[in-house]
Amino acid sequence: MEYKAPVETYTGKVAEVVIGKGSKAVKVGGESVLPLHTFEGTIPNPPKIALQTLDAAPPASWTQWVLEPYGDAVKDPVAWAKKAVEYGADLVAITLDSTDPAGANAPADAAAVVVKKVNDAVSVPLIVYGTGDEKKDVEVLVKVAEVCSGEVLLLGPVLKENYEPIAQAALAHGHNLIAQTPLDINLLKELNIKLAKFFPPNRIVIDPLSSPLGYGMEYSFSLMERTKQTGVIFKDAMTQMPIIANLALETCKTKEAKADKKQGILWELMAAVSLLLAGANIIVVQYPDTLKALKGLMAGKV
Amino acid sequence: MKIIGENIHIISKAVNDAVKERNPKPIQELALAQAKAGADYIDVNVGPARKNPENVSWLVDVIQQVTELPLSIDTMNPGAMENGLKLCKKRPLLNSASGRTDSKVNMLPLAVKYKCDVVISVLVDTGCPPDVEGRSESIMNTVALANEQGIPNEDIWVDPIILPVSGDQVQVGLCLEFVKILQDLLPGVKGTVGLSNVSNGTPEHLRPILNRTYMVMLEKCGMYSAIADPLDQELMAINRGERPHIVKIIHRVMDGEDVDLNSLTPEERDYAKTAKVLKGDILYSHAWLEV
Repeated sequence: MEYKAPVETYTGKVAEVVIGKGSKAVKVGGESVLPLHTFEGTIPNPPKIALQTLDAAPPASWTQWVLEPYGDAVKDPVAWAKKAVEYGADLVAITLDSTDPAGANAPADAAAVVVKKVNDAVSVPLIVYGTGDEKKDVEVLVKVAEVCSGEVLLLGPVLKENYEPIAQAALAHGHNLIAQTPLDINLLKELNIKLAKFFPPNRIVIDPLSSPLGYGMEYSFSLMERTKQTGVIFKDAMTQMPIIANLALETCKTKEAKADKKQGILWELMAAVSLLLAGANIIVVQYPDTLKALKGLMAGKV
Repeated sequence: MKIIGENIHIISKAVNDAVKERNPKPIQELALAQAKAGADYIDVNVGPARKNPENVSWLVDVIQQVTELPLSIDTMNPGAMENGLKLCKKRPLLNSASGRTDSKVNMLPLAVKYKCDVVISVLVDTGCPPDVEGRSESIMNTVALANEQGIPNEDIWVDPIILPVSGDQVQVGLCLEFVKILQDLLPGVKGTVGLSNVSNGTPEHLRPILNRTYMVMLEKCGMYSAIADPLDQELMAINRGERPHIVKIIHRVMDGEDVDLNSLTPEERDYAKTAKVLKGDILYSHAWLEV
């Protein structure tokens, strides 16, 4: 008897979000199958891998080996981002670490100028992360949205507490948003509903919070999996946005990464592969070798 | 559905203060208000009552001074339970026993001794069974034990344990499935639920519509009674059969009909959306009425 694979068809579809303008535009999402189910349908836009950079030289407390591949470039945000593109990043995720009120507390204007310079200098689109400080991020991300008007950045995180002013700025200046909620599918859906009242759903990317191996990755995994199933199988429009898994900062600060370089790379890679399987459409990692390994794994398969 | 008025609860600050000060007025007002609103029983909830198991005696006394309604004595403390039961003038409800070892040992004999009705929940030593099978197994075991001690099914009110929709949406649907098969499992038993728990964790102003909708859904599945807020006038009106259009729309959703939301009034639309969420057709979020 001939074997027939139990192939499912789904009626829901992940929204397609375009990041960056003109020749550097990158599309994410758009699939109408569960994560990596290439045997059930097409995945028009394979998952994208981004490398994280900062808007200023990293503090001394950073795990130093993760910076080695960049050498002196880490002292200059433009050089750092260019190097990340050389290493094969599909997007550069610049974290505005200098604006942290608990750190250097740099003003919004200065950070926005850096973002503009980096955006003008690199050939891939930018993801711009604030520090997660709900008040400071409003100043910073609104300013970035203005200064980079029309550049179609992916900006975030917007939270339940501060989504309105940031989303208004992103709307006015043509950017996409990262909607972040603390590992809870009900809150994730609620924030998307609130945003979608005035912001186009196909310009939202979900950040459900990603934890590395040993630090709650199973929660991130099952949440992403459930979000995808709810969107693709049950056609819930408010969970159909693509997902971003930002692992870079989270893995770097684990004691496993600090203790040993090889172990650290494996730590980041294991978490990244797992969240890829769970349904992440964009994965942000820190170490260029992690990116290389991820791309190697996907090559020819997706 | 029989309504057991939930408002005399030791967690409420007004109730707690009145009990501490032995001030009967707030308690009697609450009892009267619930009686007037149409409650069938008054719940007297003193919680674990570890420190003051005699509080319940005072409460039962002052409540019975103003109403003849039967009481539901609600505590986990067997000493406090007995204090309450022995003062009741009308046949009371022991609320509650469960499949937990200490409860089986201490509570069931009290139900026999005071010849009262008894709520038996599906809880076991490890918590709430996660599925219909687990709930069935737990309740069959505890009811068998109760029957052996001489408590007939007719005196047993099974509590399937409701969990909040904002915390574990799947359990809300499973609870309905369990209620549906209850009469097949244990013919003649009654049932009750802590209705308001379904909306625990939901923003305060959105709780009533969840409670009302779930009450209608539970009743359709055969539920006999609910511990609920009789001061919610709309809930009581629905329960008296005065809102047939709302009940109908909830039933249509439960029956799997593809209800066209645009054909409904705004009020009916909210009830339809709520029923879909409680049934598990739509993922819950606090903004479920806004889409």
